[in-house]
Amino acid sequence: MTKVRVPSGAGESRGPLGLLLVAVPVFLLGWMTVWPILSGLVTTLFPKDAAGFSLELYDRFFSDDYSLDNLRLTLWTCGVTSLILLAVSVPLALYLRFARGPLASYVQTLAMFPMFVPSIILAFAFIRVLGPNGTVDTILNALGLAKIRSPYLTVWGPVIGLVWDNIPLTVLILTSGLGAVPNPAIEAARDVGARPLTLFVHIILPRMWSSIFVVISLTILGLFTAFTLPYVLGPASPEMMGPFMQRTFSDLRNPEMALTQATIVMGFCILFGLFYVRSVARNRRD
Amino acid sequence: MARLTLNALGKTFGTTTAVAAFSLDVKDGELVCLLGPSGSGKSTLLRMVGGFETPTSGEVLIDGEVVTRTPPERRPTAMVFQSHALWTHMNVFGNIAFGLRIRRLPKAEIASRVGRVLALVGLEGYGKRQTNQLSGGQQQRVAIARALVLEPKILLLDEPFASLDQHLRERLREEVRDIQHRLGITTLFVTHGQDEALSLADRIVVLKEGRAEQVGAPAEVYRSPATPFVAGFIGSMNRLPGSVEAGRFRHGALELPLEGVPDGPAELAVRPEHLVVRAAPGGGAASLRRLTDYGTHRIIDLETSEGARLKAQVADGADLPQGPGLQLEPTAWAVFRNDQVIARSPA
Repeated sequence: MTKVRVPSGAGESRGPLGLLLVAVPVFLLGWMTVWPILSGLVTTLFPKDAAGFSLELYDRFFSDDYSLDNLRLTLWTCGVTSLILLAVSVPLALYLRFARGPLASYVQTLAMFPMFVPSIILAFAFIRVLGPNGTVDTILNALGLAKIRSPYLTVWGPVIGLVWDNIPLTVLILTSGLGAVPNPAIEAARDVGARPLTLFVHIILPRMWSSIFVVISLTILGLFTAFTLPYVLGPASPEMMGPFMQRTFSDLRNPEMALTQATIVMGFCILFGLFYVRSVARNRRD
Repeated sequence: MARLTLNALGKTFGTTTAVAAFSLDVKDGELVCLLGPSGSGKSTLLRMVGGFETPTSGEVLIDGEVVTRTPPERRPTAMVFQSHALWTHMNVFGNIAFGLRIRRLPKAEIASRVGRVLALVGLEGYGKRQTNQLSGGQQQRVAIARALVLEPKILLLDEPFASLDQHLRERLREEVRDIQHRLGITTLFVTHGQDEALSLADRIVVLKEGRAEQVGAPAEVYRSPATPFVAGFIGSMNRLPGSVEAGRFRHGALELPLEGVPDGPAELAVRPEHLVVRAAPGGGAASLRRLTDYGTHRIIDLETSEGARLKAQVADGADLPQGPGLQLEPTAWAVFRNDQVIARSPA
């Protein structure tokens, strides 16, 4: 029988080197993510004022109408923003997937543009355009028309800003998902008589679901922790969880309650995180 | 059953001409193979018939009706793609039934028609299988069934067996021929495999750079190639450069009488099975280099005194002497000059 010799060092020496390479990111993940999560859980479940385990902080959050309103507003903003984002980005991604020529390149550049604009600049641009006495109002006034009801400092302010801010990533993910739909599959559907809407519903959409789930998960994860746009463009009361946590921490000087709010937000994020992991796993399986 | 007419069909991509003023008339129930190397325009031609490419010039007619600008979803054609193009999120039944569902046929009729085509392609009982549970050959049968279930007037096949192994390809080829005969469906078949074209087609169109080099029955294209390109592309062909002098083609010691052919350079084309090789004790036109046994036949490699390499098919070959001293006698041949036939062997 012939024995196959494995060159020495081919397998064994890579082990320690590989571990060394991942050591730094693993350490950072532990230090900056896992540790704060554990610390947050321990601090909020074993508060200073209680003798041991207590749900008192969570009880206070869930029995406080203002906190619940903020949570509701955050969930509402997440839902509405995701829906509008999909309504805007799916047609854009479809166009970029199937269109040819220079116009498609310009549209793609335009769709990616918000990625390079910092949120704070976007917020002030929004105020200058859609805020009271902004560009739109000025134009309407010059035309002798009535002013618009500005979305600035209403619940729609953060929605508009967040949609704009999230378009590039959403379009990128959806376009990449659409890349998985081969041209012959589309041509075969047209060949058997599928018109554009049938084609989209029966052939394209089923292959896009995974990308849509990934987009929704990632967007909602980002929206839950969004701060700048909700803080600058949103209403003062109720407010989204990002500004609420910051105000509880620095204005009300109640770090324990801010930590409780953060832990609750993290709970929701973990839910959507699991959703994301499931979508990615499904995508790979397909 | 329908008649397909292509009238001076042309397609250009930028400055590149893919198809140039191509005309063809495909009769009711005929199977025509478009044969040519990569880039010869055969797939572009098929896609123009299917409606996936818009011709730059000319027109496509099905049963006399112009469909040049009609989108694929409204053409009475069905296409089988090289990559199967099955929808992986649907099972076999779903893939075949999709076109019928779009046409809002009753469920019972859909089930009956799908069952019928599944039986036709030998896949009874496979309806509930997922497409990724099928082999390459089975997937291609599903693709064929999906095209046939709509009872199209014209069936278009774009190198449907290219991704399959040789054995499976031969089997499916026979099955497709059988189905096409039974249904009598007018078919346009694109391939770059000469065997496929020779065994399947009623007529072969040999394409080169978007133009038809020759259109004819398989035997005609094989036995009487119109151009050196066709001669070289279909089957194995020996091409011997030489010249015509005083009514004879000469290549070294090999000579052939040609009547009424003006003097000048020429090229002799002869197939290996039409080249008789004999031992010539006094010295001949070629020497034996190698003998290869293919099981069904033997091929000998020869080198002429002028340095040209030839192949000849022999029954045995063991009796031939090594080295120089072989006499060559072409039994069927053609002589070309400037890409035109100037003489052929008597029929």
